[in-house]
Amino acid sequence: MDTIVNDFTINIATANGTGSQSANLILLQSLFDMGVPVSGKNLFPSNISGLPTWYIVRLSDQGYQAPGDRTHIQILVNKATWAEDLASLEPGSVVIWNTDSKMPMDRTDVFSYPVPMTKLARSLSPKLAKLVTNIVYVGALAEIIGITDEALHKAVAGQFKGKESAIELNKTALELGRTHAKENFTKEDPYVVQERSVEQDRFFFEGNEAVALGCIFGGVQLLAWYPITPSSSLAEGIIGWIPRLRTNDEGEATCAVIQAEDELAAAGMVLGAGWAGGRGMTATSGPGISLMQEFIGLAYFAEIPSVFWDVNRVGPSTGLPTRTQQSDLAMLYEGSHGDTQHIVIMPGTVEECFEFGWRAFDISERYQTPVFGLSDLDLGMNRWACEGFTYPDTPMDRGKTIREQDVFEAMENFGRYRDLDGDGIPYRTLPGSGMAPILYRGTGHNPDGVYSEKPDDYFNLMTRLKDKINNSRDDLPAPILREEVEGDVGVIYFGSMENTIQEIDDILEATGMKVSQCRVRSLPLHSEVEAFVRRHKTTIVLEINRDGQLWGILRRELPNDIVGQVHSVAYSDGMPPRARIYAEKILDKIKEVSQ
Amino acid sequence: MSDKPARAIKLNVINEPKENYKGGPSSLCPGCGHDQISNVIINAAWENGIEPHRIAKMSGIGCSSKTPAYYLGQSHGFNTVHGRMPSVTTGAYAINKDLLYLGVSGDGDSASIGIGQLIHAIRRNMDMVYIVENNGVYGLTKGQYSATADIGSKKKKGKANETQPIDLCALAINLGCTFVARSFSGSKKQLTSLIKAAMSHKGFALIDVISPCVTFNNNDESMRSYGYVKENEVTLHMADYIPHFEPVAEVEVPEGHFTDITLHDGSTIRLETISDSHDPSDSMAALTALHQAEMDKKHVTGLLYFDSSKPSLAEDLGLVSTPLLDVAESDLRPSEEMLKQMNSEFLGQ
Repeated sequence: MDTIVNDFTINIATANGTGSQSANLILLQSLFDMGVPVSGKNLFPSNISGLPTWYIVRLSDQGYQAPGDRTHIQILVNKATWAEDLASLEPGSVVIWNTDSKMPMDRTDVFSYPVPMTKLARSLSPKLAKLVTNIVYVGALAEIIGITDEALHKAVAGQFKGKESAIELNKTALELGRTHAKENFTKEDPYVVQERSVEQDRFFFEGNEAVALGCIFGGVQLLAWYPITPSSSLAEGIIGWIPRLRTNDEGEATCAVIQAEDELAAAGMVLGAGWAGGRGMTATSGPGISLMQEFIGLAYFAEIPSVFWDVNRVGPSTGLPTRTQQSDLAMLYEGSHGDTQHIVIMPGTVEECFEFGWRAFDISERYQTPVFGLSDLDLGMNRWACEGFTYPDTPMDRGKTIREQDVFEAMENFGRYRDLDGDGIPYRTLPGSGMAPILYRGTGHNPDGVYSEKPDDYFNLMTRLKDKINNSRDDLPAPILREEVEGDVGVIYFGSMENTIQEIDDILEATGMKVSQCRVRSLPLHSEVEAFVRRHKTTIVLEINRDGQLWGILRRELPNDIVGQVHSVAYSDGMPPRARIYAEKILDKIKEVSQ
Repeated sequence: MSDKPARAIKLNVINEPKENYKGGPSSLCPGCGHDQISNVIINAAWENGIEPHRIAKMSGIGCSSKTPAYYLGQSHGFNTVHGRMPSVTTGAYAINKDLLYLGVSGDGDSASIGIGQLIHAIRRNMDMVYIVENNGVYGLTKGQYSATADIGSKKKKGKANETQPIDLCALAINLGCTFVARSFSGSKKQLTSLIKAAMSHKGFALIDVISPCVTFNNNDESMRSYGYVKENEVTLHMADYIPHFEPVAEVEVPEGHFTDITLHDGSTIRLETISDSHDPSDSMAALTALHQAEMDKKHVTGLLYFDSSKPSLAEDLGLVSTPLLDVAESDLRPSEEMLKQMNSEFLGQ
């Protein structure tokens, strides 16, 4: 049988809370350290302990990072999903299974590797058997597909930094699994790992952690947050970096952290910080943004800098709290009641997570308006290969904030909400400064910030706010274009779809068409997006949601003459995008619209 | 030209005329208790010699929350959203802890929609003065009962209230609030002393002020009308405030029994016993006084509870001594070398 090298998917079925995550990360890291392009996805339940969880590891020399269409190697530990997982395998798959589960293994059309995982684990440590079981399957798998001890040991050392007893225990457990495989199995399946030249220029990093680090380098001064999956690790990332990066020798910090009583309060604190002249932010998910709507409107109307990170999970309502989706975009763009429009920036890589982390503050202070960073569970909570972080290329942009008395005195016709420069952005003074104090309010106001119900005052204010946000579009992160000269099909997408788009593109191009890509990174739409649509006969807007939210925004904002060229492919089942599903839907759509 | 010398304008301890503490004209109903409280705030801030621009006026939504427009015109302020003033104040405080945060709220704002934020601001011992202008009704929406309406009390229109009220002072004491007082908008002297003392306190100072609504809740059957409160006020003590810039030793000592409490900035609040002495460090006594008054359909006023031993939010945040607002960019953004070093560490080098 021909071997299949570095091009297969491993699915590990365990139960939540059994410690499988650390074993799976060791597996992922060891493959990465062997130079194999690899990605890992954690499909976990909204539960502390006991419910089924799957970890999917995709090896792909082409660099594909989506979970893949099928499982090639199944590791079976969890009794609860045993029958289902087993039944879903294609013939010729590999099954590494725990014989101590006493579950039937009745498939004869697969390569079966039975391992007494629990017994082996117990022989090493009766107390920690449950935990060790996970490492045993990694050891057995390593022997079967050919992961080196060197890579495994390095990954173990990295996982348990400095904890010598844990490192020893895990190494021994790996060896137990490996020895069992060596002594009992003859390799018959085709799946093997081959070392690739290891370029030490990339490391694994989670999106949430990258945003957190970006915020730290953006000079965040207040983090106000309320715990919610999948954003908690973003907030906790910031908290984790403060002692090293934002604390002086006396142990005093330059960033305040307040765990709020709810998301409403978190948003209120962010506004308070912005009002006082500081850089405040929160991290939340869709349900939190729903609760923050009132404050979002206040920030827009009273023109308070404020940064909100939304790590999108599946909605509506509580939805699927531990699954991924791109369904908060429309809500962010027009958050709160009344006519509003907000700046949204959408990173698609961990490098961008870092960059947008610091940039969000600059944009927010420059435009004196709320700025939303939109990430999602897939990007935020999984580990992605990262080329390293780039230091901010500009000093902090504090916007039109007047801090010196002489500057203020030299100004003519100052009014908190007066457009002196014709760009829609007014000047502001800060509480405590004594310069031009006003009572900020969410009620209608004139250019001096005084309460007003006059028709002209209201109309002019709303028009200026619209102009202000409109003027920002080409100052925001521009779309990333990968364009073919032919201009057959253009695909517009955003965010974490970046990790699947190339595989989709390759499937589409295998049918003979030429496909260009345009990754939108901000709202309001950059003018490049319209130009991209004009250069293509057909444009597909590809999203991980039901209704095609970005498509809806494009349809409304593109000139009428090209709206008909833009079509929606939107699909979401809670899973991270699998390339083939989306590619087939695009093909169907192209067929449909070309008829 | 007249020979008459110009009348000298009276200045406070920092040489500011009272004019500099005033605000715009009130648009509340003539006779509203809230306007009396605004005047007391102006007097208290002026007499305490606080620089007006170092005060931040905070409020939520409602009649009471409109009042920051009517006092301290030289202070920045934020008329936020309904019931959410505490969180906005907390965020501002994190950035600039050196301002005096003066919050004004109402009973709808504090006892209903915003009760959660009030509770958590107390829990954090957020450093601010929090005045509730409490009239038992929603004014701006034309006279619905609020959650503080007393049982058996009847507003101008409709039936008497039969729902158990929320006593914000009792709530605050139970939460460990470090300064809890009740007063009446008609008791100008007591209210002035209490607001001054609250301004000198470090931590959360709640002053629940009964402030009659002349339009919807000032009829004879109301337990929050001017007439009823005047008749049924139980005063715990006479409260005198002696500012830190006036040596307490030079102040005339009262004849009867009294207690001096030293406040955070060195000022003193002197509580003179009227009949039974009330110990403000005794939370059980404070709760008993509140409960007794409720049973007797009375309103007890004075400094109910005081505790200077608890750290305030500033200490809990563990921040640099400079307000974050004034921290240099070089201290907010770590260096390029640091990021390079971190990139290497992530690579495992």
